[in-house]
Amino acid sequence: MPRLMILLLAFVGLVSPAQAAPFTVRVVDVSGRPVGDAVVTVRPAAGARPMKVGRAFTVTQKNLQFHPFVMVVPAGATVSFPNLDSTKHHVYSFSPAKTFELKLFAKDQSRSVRFDRPGVIALGCNIHDSMSAFIIVTDSAWTATSDSKGFVRFPDLPGSAAAMTIWHPYLRAPGSQISRPLPAGETSEVVAVRLRPPPMHDMSGY
Amino acid sequence: MRWGVTWWAALAALLAPVSARAADGDLLSPNVLAISGDLRLVAADGEASWLHEEFGKLRGSGSRDASFRVKPELGSVDLVWQPQVGFAWSATVVGTLQGGERTEAGLSEAFISYKPMRRQKLRFSARAGLMWPAISLEHGGADWHVLDTVTPSAINSWVGEEVRPLAIEGTLGTQAGAHDLSATIGVFAANDTAGTLLTLRGWALHDRKTLAFHRQRLPPLPELLEYSQPQFTTPLLDVAPGFAKHPGYYAKIAWQLPVPVRVEVFHYDNRADPEAVNEDVEWGWRTRFDNVGLVARVGPAIEIKAQAMKGSTLMGFASPDRLWIDTKFSSAFLLATHTIGKSRVAARVELFRTRNRGSLVTTEEDEAGWATTAAYRRDISDNFTLLAELLHVHSKRAQRTLEGFAPAQDQTQLQLVARARW
Repeated sequence: MPRLMILLLAFVGLVSPAQAAPFTVRVVDVSGRPVGDAVVTVRPAAGARPMKVGRAFTVTQKNLQFHPFVMVVPAGATVSFPNLDSTKHHVYSFSPAKTFELKLFAKDQSRSVRFDRPGVIALGCNIHDSMSAFIIVTDSAWTATSDSKGFVRFPDLPGSAAAMTIWHPYLRAPGSQISRPLPAGETSEVVAVRLRPPPMHDMSGY
Repeated sequence: MRWGVTWWAALAALLAPVSARAADGDLLSPNVLAISGDLRLVAADGEASWLHEEFGKLRGSGSRDASFRVKPELGSVDLVWQPQVGFAWSATVVGTLQGGERTEAGLSEAFISYKPMRRQKLRFSARAGLMWPAISLEHGGADWHVLDTVTPSAINSWVGEEVRPLAIEGTLGTQAGAHDLSATIGVFAANDTAGTLLTLRGWALHDRKTLAFHRQRLPPLPELLEYSQPQFTTPLLDVAPGFAKHPGYYAKIAWQLPVPVRVEVFHYDNRADPEAVNEDVEWGWRTRFDNVGLVARVGPAIEIKAQAMKGSTLMGFASPDRLWIDTKFSSAFLLATHTIGKSRVAARVELFRTRNRGSLVTTEEDEAGWATTAAYRRDISDNFTLLAELLHVHSKRAQRTLEGFAPAQDQTQLQLVARARW
């Protein structure tokens, strides 16, 4: 009987459990300061919709750093790695989701890698140990990176119950991620995370 | 004809990988050349610098009456050439021009590096040539410049003077969870005289480097040693006959903890023969030391660096029961830096001493002292940096009385530096 009522109300437009609505997450640290570069993934109970592979994805190497530091791409995306530095880079990943090695000559040389399996790809450069970045390959359209104020906004999250995961390279948790259930109809959430200090690198520069 | 074709085919097959490697290489493009240098204003009081065969601890000298003297100077210019062949092989050659109270030009470093693609848990790298072992926490970059201040600590000033051998070293590193461990072993030659300057002049604080094959002049020698040691030392030298016949070694372990703390332990032994002497009467100085280093980030913008070094050097014959020179040396510093945007302030305190129990160099040459340094650094752009540094050093050495000076001396030095790099 209650189920019939819900269906009836949904029909008249008063309640719509699956109706998409904006959803905002703010990621902060334990002191309340915003946390950027956190990846928020929401998977509705009814199943996640895959992200479209349409656009081009790029991780550049400039001033001996990867840009961006954290990037979300859909499973099946191809990412290009242009080298804008005047020195060579030897980009690699040993992550289970994708193991690869790219030799990039100085200035403007670009190679591409296709990422099919969802997971976290940790990037490094064999020549410059201090270079580090992450690609998050996702199977959910509701995956995004927090901005410098800690905000992630999804304009069209289904209103049904969902599971939310937050990942950050320095998050103090197994796999650097935490999960929490998201009740149906939630429109905003603040998540406090504990972060490790970023790693130090040997500065001798040999 | 057939033999000719085969010969050409064989030659082509041989040369194919060579030309492929050449295509991978970058030997002389602007990408592998860099130049860095600085101009500075140096104001110092107190004793004349050790550069003038005196006991002054700094690169700057006071005026005749030991009051402040201000001088514009060329600090140094470093031309760095880092050719690359493939992705694993490279070389570093640094030519240096040093100004100030003694102008000299020469070679700072020249070594080949090999860094093959790492394995998932293991990495290996190697270097061979003329190079500073990785002791200093205060130096960085191919030009081995001072990172946080203008003047390095007494420990790393000495490393720049007397600890740059011809070496071959290998480093193996691994990650175990959030821990990172690396071990380095080096075998070296041409560092038999290390310890001479440290014993006969004492510790000093300056950013001058000993250039390859150059001599360092010594202050007035103890009377008993005058006929047994020239008024100079050549830090890059094999005293015993037969180059690298009796090599020295060093070993280092570095441990990066899961928290932002890095600990390093370094041991050095030049294995020189204290009785070996060459035709210039330069002796083998058996020098051994241990160095412990620590880097810790204690806040988002505050970093602590500390080093402590303790060692000894032996030279000459036993007469009657003590060697001519039997010196123990030690020093330690603590450096804190605070980064605020493009600016960084640094403060360092340090202690140093030498203790002589030889038959020719005795307690009169003992030294004890301390120094404090405050520095401000501002990065104007990727190419320009401004630095200001105030340094005060106090040292006591009874030997000064023989030259008519008080045994305890104080020196203050202010440096304003404009540093550029391309």
